[in-house]
Order: sequence, then C-alpha cells, then structure tokens
Amino acid sequence: MGLKERLKDGFIIFDGAMGTMLQNTGLKTGELPEVLNIRDKQKIIDIHKKYLDAGAMVITTNTFGANEIKLKTSGISVEEVIDAAVLNAKEAIDGRNAYVALDIGPIGELLKPMGTLSFESAYDVFKRQIVQGVKSGVDVILIETMTDLYEAKAAILAAKENSDLPIFFTMSFEKSGRTFTGCSAKAMVLTVQGLGVDALGINCSLGPIEMEPIVNEILELSNIPVMIQPNAGIPCMCNGKTEYKITPSEFAQCIKGFAEKGARILGGCCGTTDKHIKLVSDIIKNIKVKEIENKSISSVCTPTKVVFVDKVRVIGERINPTGKKLFKEALKKGDLDYIIREAVSQVEAGADILDVNVGLPEIDEEETMVKVIEEIQSILDVPLQIDSNNPKVIEKALRIYNGKAIVNSVNGEDEILDNVLPIVKKYGAAVVGLTLDSKGIPKSAEERFKIAEKIVRKAESYGINRSDIYIDCLTLTAAAQQKEVKETLKALTLVKEKLNVKTVLGVSNVSFGLPNRGLLNRTFLAAALATGLDLPIINPMDISMIDVINAFKVLWFQDENCENYVNVYKNSSQEMTKSALDKNNHNLFEIIERGIKEEARSETLKLLESEMPLDIINKHIIPALDFVGDKYEKGDIFLPQLIQSAETVRSAFSVIKEKIEKTSECQVLKGKIILATVKGDIHDIGKNIVKVLLESYGFEVIDLGKDVSKETIIQEAIKNDVQLVGLSALMTTTVCNMEDTIIYLKENCPNCKVMVGGAVLNETYAKSIGADFYAKDAKESVSISQKFFS
Amino acid sequence: MDTIDIDKKEVLRYLGYKNQILDYKTDKLIENCIFEIQKLAEPKYIYSLFKVTGRENTISLDNGLIELKGNAISNHLRNSEDCVLLAVTLGNFIDTKIRYYEKTDMTRALILDACATAYVEQVCDMVCNLIKKEDILKNKSLTYRFSPGYGDLPLDIQKSFLGVLAAEKNIGLTASSNNILLPRKSVTAVIGVVEGNCKHNAKSCLNCNKNRDCMYKKEV
Repeated sequence: MGLKERLKDGFIIFDGAMGTMLQNTGLKTGELPEVLNIRDKQKIIDIHKKYLDAGAMVITTNTFGANEIKLKTSGISVEEVIDAAVLNAKEAIDGRNAYVALDIGPIGELLKPMGTLSFESAYDVFKRQIVQGVKSGVDVILIETMTDLYEAKAAILAAKENSDLPIFFTMSFEKSGRTFTGCSAKAMVLTVQGLGVDALGINCSLGPIEMEPIVNEILELSNIPVMIQPNAGIPCMCNGKTEYKITPSEFAQCIKGFAEKGARILGGCCGTTDKHIKLVSDIIKNIKVKEIENKSISSVCTPTKVVFVDKVRVIGERINPTGKKLFKEALKKGDLDYIIREAVSQVEAGADILDVNVGLPEIDEEETMVKVIEEIQSILDVPLQIDSNNPKVIEKALRIYNGKAIVNSVNGEDEILDNVLPIVKKYGAAVVGLTLDSKGIPKSAEERFKIAEKIVRKAESYGINRSDIYIDCLTLTAAAQQKEVKETLKALTLVKEKLNVKTVLGVSNVSFGLPNRGLLNRTFLAAALATGLDLPIINPMDISMIDVINAFKVLWFQDENCENYVNVYKNSSQEMTKSALDKNNHNLFEIIERGIKEEARSETLKLLESEMPLDIINKHIIPALDFVGDKYEKGDIFLPQLIQSAETVRSAFSVIKEKIEKTSECQVLKGKIILATVKGDIHDIGKNIVKVLLESYGFEVIDLGKDVSKETIIQEAIKNDVQLVGLSALMTTTVCNMEDTIIYLKENCPNCKVMVGGAVLNETYAKSIGADFYAKDAKESVSISQKFFS
Repeated sequence: MDTIDIDKKEVLRYLGYKNQILDYKTDKLIENCIFEIQKLAEPKYIYSLFKVTGRENTISLDNGLIELKGNAISNHLRNSEDCVLLAVTLGNFIDTKIRYYEKTDMTRALILDACATAYVEQVCDMVCNLIKKEDILKNKSLTYRFSPGYGDLPLDIQKSFLGVLAAEKNIGLTASSNNILLPRKSVTAVIGVVEGNCKHNAKSCLNCNKNRDCMYKKEV
C-alpha cells in the first residue's frame, strides 16, 4: 500500500526527534548533524532502527539542514549528504514495510523583504535538495519547522515542480498562535492547502498541551490530512542544558486526543525519543479514524491577515491606471512610492482587499506587476486581487504573492478559461468570473446566469473549489443601457441562489456620463448589497460609499451589536465642530518651519489660487527650508525636526506637482539623482532620510531601494540619463560592495559622479574608495547636490 | 516577558539630540513611538555559558565550535574563566512597521527606529540582570556586552555564534549572507564572567574606533 492510499483511511506514525537522539550521544548545539550521515553513519542507522522498532511507519532522513547555505563551510555537498542519508534510512528499513521521508528544514536565512534572500534563490536552494532526494529514492517529501510562509511557498513549489512525490508540510508556532515571522495557523492552512500539499500541520516549538488550541484551529479549516509533531513539552534551561519535561505516556495521551479529533499523521519533534513513539503507536491502534469533512470557506489571506468572505468585504479599486494621468505617469517612471501611497490610503479608508491592475501598453506589465506586489506586501498585510487579462502576468504575480490571492478575471470564453484556470488551481488562488463571452455582455439576467454556470462548471472540473469562485454579473451604465441596469441585480440573485457562489461587482460604472455620480453609485451599491453582493469593488476613499456599507452591515446583522458602526460614527458631530475650530492661521512658511504636515496641502492649495507655482516654491518654500536647514546646521534643531519640515515641504510639493501636471506649464525639478543602498546592505533608513530631504529641495530622486546590485544602478543611471548617484552603506562588510559599485560605475558611465554616506565612512575613506563626494549627513547631501546642479 | 521601560534620554541620544528646544509636537511623537514599540516588540533571548580556553589573540570556547579572534576580545575576556554568549531580538513586526512608516511618515520611522535601538539595549540589560542571578554566578559579576564587529572582533562569526545558541530555532534570529542580524533590532554579545565586583571594565565611547566622529557619542 502506498503512502497516499494509507492517508485516505488510516493513521500514519512518523518517527520522533533525530537531533535529541544525537545530542544524547554527544552532538553539541551548533554542530552539523547532517555530516554524521557520512562520518558516523552507523549512529544514524541505529536511531532510525529504534524508531522503526517503536512502530514508526515513516522515518525522516537526517537532512534537516542539508541545504547549500547551511552546508557551505562543511566541505560536503548537498547531494552527498542527502544520498548518504537516504541510504542510511533504507539500510535501517531493510525490507520492513516502512517509508523514507526526505527531511527539509528552513534555509537559515530570511527571505526578502525581511531579509536579503530572494524568493527565486530560495526556490533554487530547495530544488537542489528535492532533485537529489528524488534521485536517491525517497517516498515522501517532508517540509517542516517552517516559520516564514513565503519560504514555505518556495519549498512547496520546488517540491511540486521537481517531483511527483507526496508532500507533507508543517510549520512551527509560538504560544501566541503565530510563527516567529507572524504567520497565523489559518493563513498557513489556506495558503499551503491551495498549493496542493498532501498533508499539513504543526511541529516543534511547543509541547502537545500548548499546541492544542492551534491544532483545533487547523483541524477546523483544513480539507486535507493534518500532521502533528509536538516537542516533548516546552523546553526549559536547566544548568545550561535544554530539557523537556513531558513523559512518554503523557505525550501519547495528548496525541491520542489529537487523533480522536481528526489528526492523521502523528509523530514527535525535539525531546521525543523512540519511547514516545512506541506508546503513540500502541495507543493509536484502538482509535477509529475520523473522516475529513470538506469545508467550504471563501477566504483570501496574507501571512498575517486572513479575510473571510463571510460578510461584505470591500475591494479597493484605486490601483489602476485607467483614466488617471498621474497614475500612468508614475507607472511609466517606475515611481512605486506613488502607487504605495494609493495602497496605504485605501487600507486606511477601510479596504479589506486591494485590486492591483498595472496594465498600460507602454510598460512591461509582468515586471511592473511583480514590483508593485513585492512593494505592497513588504509594508502592508492586506490581501490582493491580481487584475490582468494576461495569463503570464497572472502566473508571475501568483508565484511571488505571499498568501492566497484572487485572480481578476476569467469569463465564459473557453480559451481564457483553459489558459487561466490551471494557473489559479496551481497556486491555490480564488478567481473572479465575468458573465460575458466572445459575444459580449448578454442583455438578460438568464443569459448571464448561463455563463456563470459554465464558469463554475469549468472551474470545478479543474479542481477549484466552489467557495473560491466569485461571479461578477457586470454593472452597465445607466446613461447608455438604462433598461439593463436591473438585469445585473437579477443575475446576481440567480447566481447566489442557484450556484451558491460569492459575488463581486464593480459599482461606479453605473453612473458614468451622468451628473451627481455619487448619488447613483450609493443607491446602486445599496441595492446590490441587498441583493446579496459580497465583494463590492469601489473607491474606498469615497466616504459616502463606505458609509453605505457600514449602514448595511448594521441592517443585515453583519456588524454585531453595531460595534463598528458606533465606533465610526459616535463622534461624527463633535468632530465637525472641532475641525472647524482648529482652522489654522499659519502661513506656509510657519507650517514648514514647525513641520505641520497636515496643513501643508490646504495652505498650498490656497496659495495656488493667487500665485504661480514657481513663485510659491521660490518665495515661500525655499526660504522656509533654508531657514530650517540653517537652524539644523547651527544645532538649534535636531534631525526629527528637520525631517518633519522636509516632509511638510514634500506634501506641499505634491500639490504643486499635481497643478503643474494639469497645466504642464513648467518644469520645477532641479535635477535627477539616483539613491541606493549597496548590495548586501539593508540598512536604508539613512538613505530614506536623504531622499526626503533631497525631494523637499526639489530634486527628482530615483530611489532604487536597498540591497541593490551594481548592474541595476548602472542600468538605471543610463536609462534615466542620471549624472549624480548617491550610495549608502552602513557596514564595514558592505563598504567593499560600495567600492565595487563605484569602479563599475566609473567604467560604464564615466560622466556620472558619486556621492556616498553611511556610518562607517569618513572623508578619507570615501576618497579612497573612489567617491567624488562624501556627505557626512543628510543635510550635506543637499549642499552637494545644489552645488553639483548649479 | 514583561514590558520594559524605554529611557527617553537614550532615544534622544540616538536621534542626535543635543539639548535643543524640544517642541511639543516632536516630544509627543517620541512618547507615542515609545508606546508603539512596546506594543510591537516581541523580545526574545537565549544565552549559554561557556568555559574560555584559548588565549593570545584567539579565544576558544569549550564546545570547540567557535573562535573569537582579535586583541579586543582577548582584552575583554582577560580576567574571565567563563563567558556568556547572548542573543536578543525584538522580532520582525518592528522591522515591518518601520518599513511602513518609511513610506508614509519618515519622521515617525526615524523615531521608531531610535526607540527600538534603545529598547533592545534595555532588554539586554534586563537579561544580563537575569543571568547574574544564576546559581553558578554567585559572587561573580559580568563585564559589559561585547558584540561581533566591535574593535577587531570579526563580524563573520555571526553565523556560528547563532549556531551554538541554536538562535534561529529558539528565538527566530538569523544572519544574512553579509552577516547582518535579522530581524534587524537584535543583539549578539559576549559577556565575560569575572570574580567579585567588576567596575574597571565599564563600556565607554573612548574605546570605540568611531570615537572621533560619532553623532551618538555619549558626552562625558
């Protein structure tokens, strides 16, 4: 009987800890246990045998850290270690009815954005282990003790794409119910189940008692077999040694409880030995296997945030260039900050999910989509809806997205369904189905329903769960097709009732071409919600739309005890009067001097009514900045005060820029500067301070971020015709990369000058690595740039 | 771990404060940030005691897995038979939040960063007080914390340092390929155990090679 068959109707007993057994025979913390597969293989074989004797049906190879990064200094290759480890396991099995699991633990370095390792490099690290494991003949791949969902995804994809073996997966949670990196058990289940592992669960960190609430959470949500490998209690330090307190019989009792609740794959982690496994294997014999129910739960997530579509959820529509000049400009220039601001403000306004559309003919959609998603998920935990009609873009986006996403969209056309649905399935996403096909949008509700039915059927045939299909019955414009507006809502009712799927709808289209659009939008939204709309796609910055949703949630009992409603509106009348009282009397100079960012916008708008943009800059902004800068240099104010003023100027500038973009009357920017923190270095707060200051003085900054390769810097310098590059490095170990970048830059862009800064540098040091200018602080980078461009 | 107070004076020092007028707005912002860091931080620590074996420019520890090279560390441990290796981290959430503010509110990012730096040092102080209470350290005291990268102690021991403490598994602390500790607000340090009271070996800016041009220098 193969493992997969056994999984269908029985329990599978795994082994216990390898490390603990090795430490009992003298292995020290910090030593690589994997080396013993070759140097002391009998020791490993004996441990495997003990577990097999104790009743383990699967034994785990001694390869937890057998990746190229952890083995780097060991002198042994990944392939040698894994091959030896699998041979040892097979030798221990020696004809018995048992299986070998290829053990894969975390890489040991953090992935971006938390660390510096890229997703694709992590994938390659895992791929190398998996390819060898398959070659050496393992029966199952065990990816375990993960703490970062992104790394887990890289490992699972590597396993899926390089083998046909079953994949078992576990993560380690803290008592808080989250991993070290913040991933929740729910987010884990939703994401890795979607990626198509064969079993998932929890191991390590906690003992079986502390684990219980998390196990319950996992069992409640999982549609696939659940695996549990607890420690023998919470480790405690006794006389400098780690000890585990739970006895084998207490351990087995807890495992029995998990098995009765529905866990299927049982074993142990740190502190457990063959004694624990023996009792587990005995106690399991008398337990009846519990069937796994199929739970239909509509949801999306990131590692730290799960959004269940169990009530109305708002999808923010603002990340979309259609009809937005500034957004298009930002996309063309690669100005991610602009796009990030759109993301942040939508989340602040109450969006639960963000739609991301970067389709613009002049740009590389695939590359931009990846950049935007990476940028959003590096600072926000909001789940995303990937909006593109290009399957390649969708696949690339789903690959690097961290969590469970929605794909927007497919429609009733066979070609699109057959191209996109397999990708949706592979990455475990949800999908939006538009009720249109090659003939366009049908007029009648019944015809739209038919298309919806087809999409659902097709999606299910690809293995996509009905709970992951969201049907969009498409809003029509009242100005053009007034009669059909109602058909959308009729179709929505049909879809909800007969297909039992969730629905999504872009709302604001209804009012196009008519006056007082907000009124039509609100009214249509309310009607659609009452009909059963689950996911309105709206502009969350439009408070009146959010108001309708907040009110609806009260009336439809989705906001229990009106808690949210009361929270949002209890102070509304007082606030109006308060803000009226607060009306400022500061002029722009004072606003900048005091760093009152909130007032910069309105004051600048007021000035724009009577003065030219350039005059505002020269007569108000620059004098204020110079005044503040002077105070900073004299030591009358300190850095946070200077930055507050600079940020205030920045928001004044953005108003002026909007005005100029509209009238395109003049160019205010003083010169283009590239800023980057060099390869290997991820300390970029200093660089970001420089950026804020330079921008406040009117320079255009192309911010390449941190950990930037010299190739990228050159490429961008040439592409944007940049004459001045600012580099930052904060570690003695990364200054060499700075020097390297400067040499490369001088070779390839001889006209380009370089200014450098960072804690470990000084004037002499900067000169010695070939820099043209050294800025001792952010303010000085401004003086250098002003001289350079004057 | 209970929340630990953050010393505002230290935060101000990390912000380069030199007795300027602290306006109400900035002052409030700093207090807000102190509060926010205490909510965001998930302080975790791990330490272990080792016998010091080698001398003369290279210190070896009795587990044979790590060598501490350089004059500075030899000097630091010159009176110690034992030493403690310590690793402390505040966790990932702070890093994410600082990244967030760098995009939305740079002033706040700057102050939050300074608060986190002050906080991690204070967590280290707290842990050192716990270590002092260990039975084996009766009638002994601890030197100040000496970290990889100080003086001539190379930074590239970071990975093996974390390895001997199993810091990745125990507290989620890792080092990048360039030996940067991640999560960012983390500390690794070697602490010497000395007989009796130890006063001669206090940490001082005078021993630092950035002494001449450091904006964070403590005024004596």
